[in-house]
Amino acid sequence: MNDIIERIDAAVADAVRQAAAATSSADLEAVRVAYLGRNGLFPALSRGMGEVPPEQRRTAGQRFNTGRAEIQEALDAAGRRIAAGADAAGAIDLTLPGRRLPAGHKHPISRVADECVAIFGRMGFVAVEGPEIEDIYHNFDALNTPADHPSRDPQDTFYFPDGRILRSQTSPVQIRVMESHEPPIRIVAPGRVFRRDTPDATHGMNFHQIEGLSIDRGVSMADLKSVLQTFAREMFGEKVRIRLRPHFFPFTEPSVEYDFSCVVCGGKGCGVCKHSGYIEIAGAGMVDPAVLANVGYDPRVWSGYAFGLGIERLAMLRYRIPDLRLLYENDVRFLEQF
Amino acid sequence: MNISRKWLSDYVALDCDDQTLCDKLTMAGIEVEKVDRISTFPEEIVTARILERRPHPDSDHLSVCRVDSGSGELQIVCGAPNCDAGRVVPLAPIGTVFTTAEGEFKIKKSKLRGVESFGMMCSQKELGLGPDNSGLLILPDDTPVGVPLARLYPGDTQIEVEVTPNRPDWLSMWGIARDVSCLFDVEPKFPEIEVPECAVPAPGLVTVEDSELCPRYIGRIVRNVKIGPSPRWLAERLESVGLRPINNVVDVTNFVLMEVGQPLHDFDLDKLAGRRVVARRAHPGEKIVTLDGSELELAERHLVIADAEKPMALAGIMGGEYSGITDNTVNLLIESAVFKPANIRATSRELGISSDSSYRFERGVDFDMAETASRRAVQLILATAGGELGSEAVDVRGERPADAVIPCEFDRIRALIGVEVSNERMIEIFRKLHLGVSDITAAGCVVTAPGFRRDLSREADLAEEVARIHGLDQIPEIPVTGKRCHPASEDACAPLIALRDRVIGLGFDECVHYSIVSDSQALSDGRFERGDLITLSNPINSDAAAMRPSLFCVMTGAVERNVSRGNRDLTLFELGKVFCANPEKFPEERYELALLLTGRRHPEEFGAEGRAEYDFYDLKGAVETLLELCGLTDRRYRFESLESDRRFRPGRAARLVIDGREAGAFGEVAEPVARHWRTTAAVFIAQIDAAALLETGRGRAGYRPLALYPAVSRDVAFVAAAELEHGKVVEFIRSCRLPFLESVRLFDIFTDDRLAAEGRKSMAYSLTFRHPERTLTDVEVNVAMEKLRSKLAAGLKVELR
Repeated sequence: MNDIIERIDAAVADAVRQAAAATSSADLEAVRVAYLGRNGLFPALSRGMGEVPPEQRRTAGQRFNTGRAEIQEALDAAGRRIAAGADAAGAIDLTLPGRRLPAGHKHPISRVADECVAIFGRMGFVAVEGPEIEDIYHNFDALNTPADHPSRDPQDTFYFPDGRILRSQTSPVQIRVMESHEPPIRIVAPGRVFRRDTPDATHGMNFHQIEGLSIDRGVSMADLKSVLQTFAREMFGEKVRIRLRPHFFPFTEPSVEYDFSCVVCGGKGCGVCKHSGYIEIAGAGMVDPAVLANVGYDPRVWSGYAFGLGIERLAMLRYRIPDLRLLYENDVRFLEQF
Repeated sequence: MNISRKWLSDYVALDCDDQTLCDKLTMAGIEVEKVDRISTFPEEIVTARILERRPHPDSDHLSVCRVDSGSGELQIVCGAPNCDAGRVVPLAPIGTVFTTAEGEFKIKKSKLRGVESFGMMCSQKELGLGPDNSGLLILPDDTPVGVPLARLYPGDTQIEVEVTPNRPDWLSMWGIARDVSCLFDVEPKFPEIEVPECAVPAPGLVTVEDSELCPRYIGRIVRNVKIGPSPRWLAERLESVGLRPINNVVDVTNFVLMEVGQPLHDFDLDKLAGRRVVARRAHPGEKIVTLDGSELELAERHLVIADAEKPMALAGIMGGEYSGITDNTVNLLIESAVFKPANIRATSRELGISSDSSYRFERGVDFDMAETASRRAVQLILATAGGELGSEAVDVRGERPADAVIPCEFDRIRALIGVEVSNERMIEIFRKLHLGVSDITAAGCVVTAPGFRRDLSREADLAEEVARIHGLDQIPEIPVTGKRCHPASEDACAPLIALRDRVIGLGFDECVHYSIVSDSQALSDGRFERGDLITLSNPINSDAAAMRPSLFCVMTGAVERNVSRGNRDLTLFELGKVFCANPEKFPEERYELALLLTGRRHPEEFGAEGRAEYDFYDLKGAVETLLELCGLTDRRYRFESLESDRRFRPGRAARLVIDGREAGAFGEVAEPVARHWRTTAAVFIAQIDAAALLETGRGRAGYRPLALYPAVSRDVAFVAAAELEHGKVVEFIRSCRLPFLESVRLFDIFTDDRLAAEGRKSMAYSLTFRHPERTLTDVEVNVAMEKLRSKLAAGLKVELR
């Protein structure tokens, strides 16, 4: 009788000591398996119970049950201790920098240009490209620019020895698309344009524009206004309103300049909008009949609108960048802000 | 162009505030740039009544007054003789700042001979309202007290507007007044021009030799003028638009220019040889000294107004100094002419001279206005400088340009502008703009544009007038009907945007550089020679004369700039156009991609990893990953060693070949290029032809069944000669054709001092075997490995470990 009780006591003592000594959950699991597991010591003792004389079986059985409970308790306690201890030992310093995955940054010019392409894409405009080295015909003549127009002057436009130029606007892409496609047309043309300006806070030798063109039957200024108003809202928020003002461009008639209600003050007047409540954005208009005729479209059948946008201007407005030169310096401290 | 509100009010009655006027102008296309209130006195000045006048206890000429300023009673010491009780006078309270020629002075609380004074009462002269300084300006007795004086003397508003080149008529008060009268729906009043009859013939006074460049020339003689200062009204008008009064005759000329938009020129008749003028082309080499004192050498392409001997004026641009009006001038020849705009513009640009005259002639003046202006000038000169008309009008004219006759359809105009404007409203707008309207039917009408509206010739031009006057704010917002007209395959931007996004996803920061670089910068990419560069005829300066032939030359600039600012850890790229003049090398314009790595890989990390710097394999890995993302499998590209490329360090560069075609190169930037950079870290640049990445970028991914049975891995390690390339080892292992070998992976390469001394290195590979239809046994794999070990030892002469 004493024999079985002693063996139970010894096993319990061993198990409790081992559980107390365990330093990891794996150690603890090994202790559990060794004593309480299917092939462990306690089930083996349980199987030996048959040899205990019947009058002692009750006492032995009780001791067996309490012993098993003691071990379980020791295991649980050790488990809690190990769980707590693991946290203490391998404590995390949350203020240490994490191991980051690479994250590059998109240049603000690209961010804005891509967003424009996406917004107009949702309105059915497909983005097309044209050459940056352009001929006079596409950049000026076909766009109804008078032969002695100041924009053609070598003071303003870059020329090459062969008489070609660096395009001064993205508008020649309009001509190229109309020459190669039958109407209807609905395109935007983002790209780099060049003016002979010495770089300063608002000018550069080159900058980026996005040009839009839609030609169809019965297109009106209301279509133009609505597309620009939709763009304004998607780009700068629901509250932005658009304002058209009459203007003059050789390639559109009627021509307008369009303003957005100030994206900074909402139209109340601030330094950014020079207290006018509006910010001048760019030019637009109904494609001049002469331009349509130049590409062989019948102006009595087809009408359309064209508009331009300056990407740098939008980027500077959106990110409050005070000086255009920052966009071309490529200082990594600047690039990583976007 | 400056507009004076007061001057404008001479022709059109305005009872709106400045803001409304400016808004209407801007919304009609006359964009207001700047608004200046012009007042001769500070705005703080108010009306006040003198309640009591007492003599100063300590002065004979000073008085002590009690004054009601509207907001309280003040004591003011005054030296004027007429500061009698009961009078209403202007009062400058404490704090008022006067701006005078000598500077600013501020009214302060002060003591005059021991008596305190709280302000100043003002004379006409002190307020700039006239010359009288004999006493206070006395206002009518019933003037309310405490109101700003500006309400009684409103001054003027100077409005600077931007005039678009299609509207030269807006370069005059009359032109602006015509549109303003239409905008405010009031009838304009233009002055009656009355000139005495004069039939004195003046044969030979005017000769026009080139009627193409000078389609009309009107000359009138005025004799016995008396040059002197202009009357106040005239001087004020000129000052109100920012012009300086000079003398009565010159001022009239400038006044008429501003009033009707027709530039005039006055000659001193007695200084003209032969007392006549000739409009002719300059003789080659002929010289003229202009009014501003500069001597110009002329050529036949320049039109001059000459006397019998030599040029007296650069036609339409500037007068010569010999024939100008002086204080002694008695007899005048008044020129009112029309010149060809293109010629004036070319001459003005070429010689670098412009004037208010050339500005208007360049844009085109009204053929008919020349006569009106000539008569107006005579009228005003006779009135301000005296004298008498000395000749008939000598009017040498070619054919008057025909007025544009424009048939238009109302429905088409409505369709173009997208606003429901009634036929009647359109006709009303045309009429109010002083256009001729005839042949009105239910469908349309015929509009005749007068000489001052040469910009109108087509229906679309009339549509603009309707839209502009009816109001662009009337155009409704309608649903955007955005149907696509072009297939997505024509979208040129989507592939570029996708490529750029991939590179950004790899951790690169995007750069955007100018396309124009210096020659030496362009040639720093040794692949190009001078003849390959596309160079500008008219660069801004030599630092920006060539189109960049590659992105290499701008990326090196980015390193230099960043490093000089202390940014030494760079992971940069640019995707942009580059240019080449030599079609045998490259197309004229193409997109290139450049990647750049230098400094630490992970500067933000702590420990050893944070100190690790980029090496060649980082760049190679970036290129490989990018190629994979672009859908290129390693079967389609290869790297070749690249020697003798001046951009890169010898032995540290590679050429990228895609589908058998050279598509780029990458490596460590050569020492001569990097020498002056303030960094010790190596710089790695890759340059890839973007087209090679774009063409392959679509639809390459495809499904392959996943393996069903487990793989078995075995390692093999050996010591090999240092020169043995990894690629050779892989190729050799593949050539052994081990059954069911799936992949070979290098997992360690190692050299210690001992191995290095022997010219050897240790390499360790992990081989993975897999059978597609069953689980491989250890025995099968062991047999294959034994075979490999013996072949390696024999074939590659390595020492197995």
